[in-house]
Amino acid sequence: MSVTEFAEVGANVSGAPRAHSEDRYPPGDLAIWIFILAELLVFAVFFAAYAFTRMNHIELFNTYQATLDRDAALANTIALLTSSYFVVRGVVAAREGDNRACARWVWGGVAMGAVFLVIKSLEYAHHIGAGISLSTNTFYMFYLSLTFFHFMHVILGMVILAAVAVKAGRGGYSAEEHTGVETGASYWHMVDLVWLILFPLVYVMQ
Amino acid sequence: MSTQQLTTQLIRPCTFVYLLLVILTVATWAIGRSGLSGLGLAMLVLALALLKGQLVGDWFMGLRGLRGIWRWVVVIWLLIPGGLISLAFFLSYRS
Repeated sequence: MSVTEFAEVGANVSGAPRAHSEDRYPPGDLAIWIFILAELLVFAVFFAAYAFTRMNHIELFNTYQATLDRDAALANTIALLTSSYFVVRGVVAAREGDNRACARWVWGGVAMGAVFLVIKSLEYAHHIGAGISLSTNTFYMFYLSLTFFHFMHVILGMVILAAVAVKAGRGGYSAEEHTGVETGASYWHMVDLVWLILFPLVYVMQ
Repeated sequence: MSTQQLTTQLIRPCTFVYLLLVILTVATWAIGRSGLSGLGLAMLVLALALLKGQLVGDWFMGLRGLRGIWRWVVVIWLLIPGGLISLAFFLSYRS
């Protein structure tokens, strides 16, 4: 097998032909993956805390879960999935050395992130208008703190993606060097991943 | 790798995965809208969520082709909250 063929076989899904020694590490800067692991651990603790607290307040959790807007949550989940897909396309474009396409796709990802923020903000406005706060009851304490913690991660992810898109727009990446795009994309997919558990847990499971 | 190869090997499967993720999301939403409840349904919803998480890890995060511990990072993470949530729901239905 030639070196080229070997690299082709080792290509990971994000698009880069990888050398044998590189297919041990995920795409992007390894430091972002340490950060991602720390973030995922925190969210795992939050999810477990929600589930075990619910054990002692089942009626309360089921009653107030029914007051949440599941349609908005569906729209938000699709917005984040679409955003993640756009970012995948941006990574592929960067690996092809097409900075303009990369910037377009990543800005698309940022736009879908903005859709998420708008929908979630409308939900929060509705809750605040109804006089709901962290101290209303245990369910709302978890719902508001969990979703707002995630909301802050969406904002951070959008800032990272915007920086990537700006750099791509200036021709800052190449087919050989696009670690920044992969790093930003990895963080953004983590934000998506967390929501994929949060949505059914808080909005659907009874 | 040519653009044509990238399209065939990466974009097409990722597009398929994206559409599958949307379908599974709508299925989860529909279960919630149905108003039905029960341990079996809760576990089904959780299983769909874990499957979706695995698809994101494998295809969007690019972990599918890796060797070693990084290949399993998302799988392990999904099993931790997934297992704890399952245990909590199982215990709540038993009591």
